[in-house]
Amino acid sequence: MDQQLPEEPGASRQRNDWGRNMLSVKGLMAEVGGKEILRGLDLEVAPGEIHAIMGPNGSGKSTFAHVLSGREGYTVTGGSVTFDGRDLLELEPEERACVGLFLAFQYPVELPGVNNTYFLKAALNAMRKYRGEPELDAVSFMRLMKDKLKILHLDDSLLKRPVNFGFSGGEKKRNEIFQMALLEPKLAILDETDSGLDIDALRIVADGVNALRSPERSMIVVTHYQRLLDYIQPDHVHVLAKGRIIRSGGKDLALELEDKGYGWIVEEEAAA
Amino acid sequence: MSTTTQAQTNGVFDAWVADGGDAPAGPDWLQAARRDARARIATQGAPTAKAEGWRYTGLRDLMQQDFQRVHEPVSALQPGDIDEALIPGLDAHRVVVVNGRYVPQLSALGTLPTGVRVGGLHAMLQSDPAALEGRLTQIAGAGCHVFATLNTAAMDDGLVLLLERGAVLQRPIELIHLSVGMDEPRVAQPRHLIHLGDGAQAEVIERYLSLGDSLYCTNSLLEIELGRDALLRHRRIQLESPHAFHITGLYLSQGANSQYDGVNIGLGSAWARTDLVTRFRGEHARCDLSGLYLAGDRQLVDYHMDIRHDLPNCASSENFKGIVHGRGRAVFDGLVYVAPGASKTDAAMSNRNLMLSENAEVDTKPQLEIYNDDVKCSHGTTVGQIEPEMLFYLRSRGISAPLARRMLCLGFAGEIIDALGNEALRQHVAEQVGQRLEQAPV
Repeated sequence: MDQQLPEEPGASRQRNDWGRNMLSVKGLMAEVGGKEILRGLDLEVAPGEIHAIMGPNGSGKSTFAHVLSGREGYTVTGGSVTFDGRDLLELEPEERACVGLFLAFQYPVELPGVNNTYFLKAALNAMRKYRGEPELDAVSFMRLMKDKLKILHLDDSLLKRPVNFGFSGGEKKRNEIFQMALLEPKLAILDETDSGLDIDALRIVADGVNALRSPERSMIVVTHYQRLLDYIQPDHVHVLAKGRIIRSGGKDLALELEDKGYGWIVEEEAAA
Repeated sequence: MSTTTQAQTNGVFDAWVADGGDAPAGPDWLQAARRDARARIATQGAPTAKAEGWRYTGLRDLMQQDFQRVHEPVSALQPGDIDEALIPGLDAHRVVVVNGRYVPQLSALGTLPTGVRVGGLHAMLQSDPAALEGRLTQIAGAGCHVFATLNTAAMDDGLVLLLERGAVLQRPIELIHLSVGMDEPRVAQPRHLIHLGDGAQAEVIERYLSLGDSLYCTNSLLEIELGRDALLRHRRIQLESPHAFHITGLYLSQGANSQYDGVNIGLGSAWARTDLVTRFRGEHARCDLSGLYLAGDRQLVDYHMDIRHDLPNCASSENFKGIVHGRGRAVFDGLVYVAPGASKTDAAMSNRNLMLSENAEVDTKPQLEIYNDDVKCSHGTTVGQIEPEMLFYLRSRGISAPLARRMLCLGFAGEIIDALGNEALRQHVAEQVGQRLEQAPV
């Protein structure tokens, strides 16, 4: 397996200033059940940037998101991931969250019997504790939740229900974005956040994401379709195929992909 | 009399029914029931591992103990001594039973509505046995095993709650059953009788607690009779010493259109066996039993149910959830019998278990015996582990794995805890379950 990336035109758009970058992924290789999925993935994300990762089904997009978040069942067989100066792959999933990584799930998990407010408070206080900050009392927490709901134009009906339990697809995704607003990550990975959403729900979710953009917060938006990028404008677009980023560019690349599909890039890559 | 008794009981349970103390002989009908019980102990003997109802519930540890019958009331306790047993914010008429004996000075009955009588069985057998006749020993009959027989032979005290026709209790009756360690291991055999007249309504919160970590056995028996249209909410919380043995037989007789709503929480003791037995005397009665049990390392929790639909148009449900960890063991054995004449029976049974360790064991056996086609009956059981994706979801939000597991266990248990209704009680039980889970090495 060739770990050396050929010099792609888009590669020049990536920053070489490793020290400055929030996330630095180098030659990442990972397997699922003995099957090689990621085969030398490189990615550099600077603070405040939004990167879109696109690619055909089975290209490894979701695997990449899961490996970053520390999900079990994935074996990293090579490469490195540095997040904010730390070796991310050494950390437990909860530690990754506490140092500022957030994964918005493609399929948010239903937790019957676990109250959403209780869950959010436990999550926020776990992170505050990790950082040596005092835990929020009930009143301060409720105030914070109200503020965040206002920013995202959400109502509080979701908070009284069990986490994601019986939620519609749109409600689940909104709950993910709400968690993101509350937990204020440095890096958010949105894994196919657009899947299963109608256009109205998509707009609400995208508006939420845009409201949370800041010079300190980076995002990796994993998506199959260009559609989401009409609402969330990326700084960089990468094409993932067969476990590697084979093309990087600006948001024009996404439009080109929408127009022409993935086939031509994959073929060009194979020919190269 | 004591010599003949010893010969008849074959020795095994002699100490459980030994004569002595101040147990009232009671009226003739009770004396006859006791004689009959003593005679049956010998033929019944201790259940063997081959007996169907005891296959998964080993009696060896229990039988190895040298339990002595409690004869005297515990008089040393002062009201302040039970403060730690009280639930903050629980507004109830309080009855305290210590080692099987009603203790008026620890109880706080307050003002009871008209038509409601609350007292100790020991006292009432002397003052007004007529109020008990036809109910005490009649509701349970022979009972379902030798421990019921032992209780009948040796009962000397317990709660008597009598509601006249139409009487309504606004506040719950809280029955605190406290066990205090003695020099030698004791067996207390309280007998409780609850009778609700036609249209009467009450809530009973029954709590089994220990002062200290002592070794003892409680062999309690409840007889409950509901009149037509009567409604009883019954919450049973068992939270005893890790060395305690606990046996409960609950015999329920329901009149037409009556409702029994029972929630059983089993959190503590080394070994606990509960038999819930329901009979319908009239149509359109409803019996809902739900439960939550936690069996930790080396604990055994066993719930047996025997629901018999002999009449048409009655409904019953059983919804039990269990969390088992360490080398804990749980047994769920539910039998719903629908007789040929019991058309339009509605019966649903569910038992779901969460196993937190490889060494935990659950034996679950829901049984429907249906001899009528015009019924709606269902049953289901599950034995599973914490879903890895649920655990990961919580961890991905910064929550540590142990806390995430506890949250998921509490989420699983939440449905039953919420069914308790009473907010002070609900909070108390949620805290206790949380604490038990915190101690669990998961």
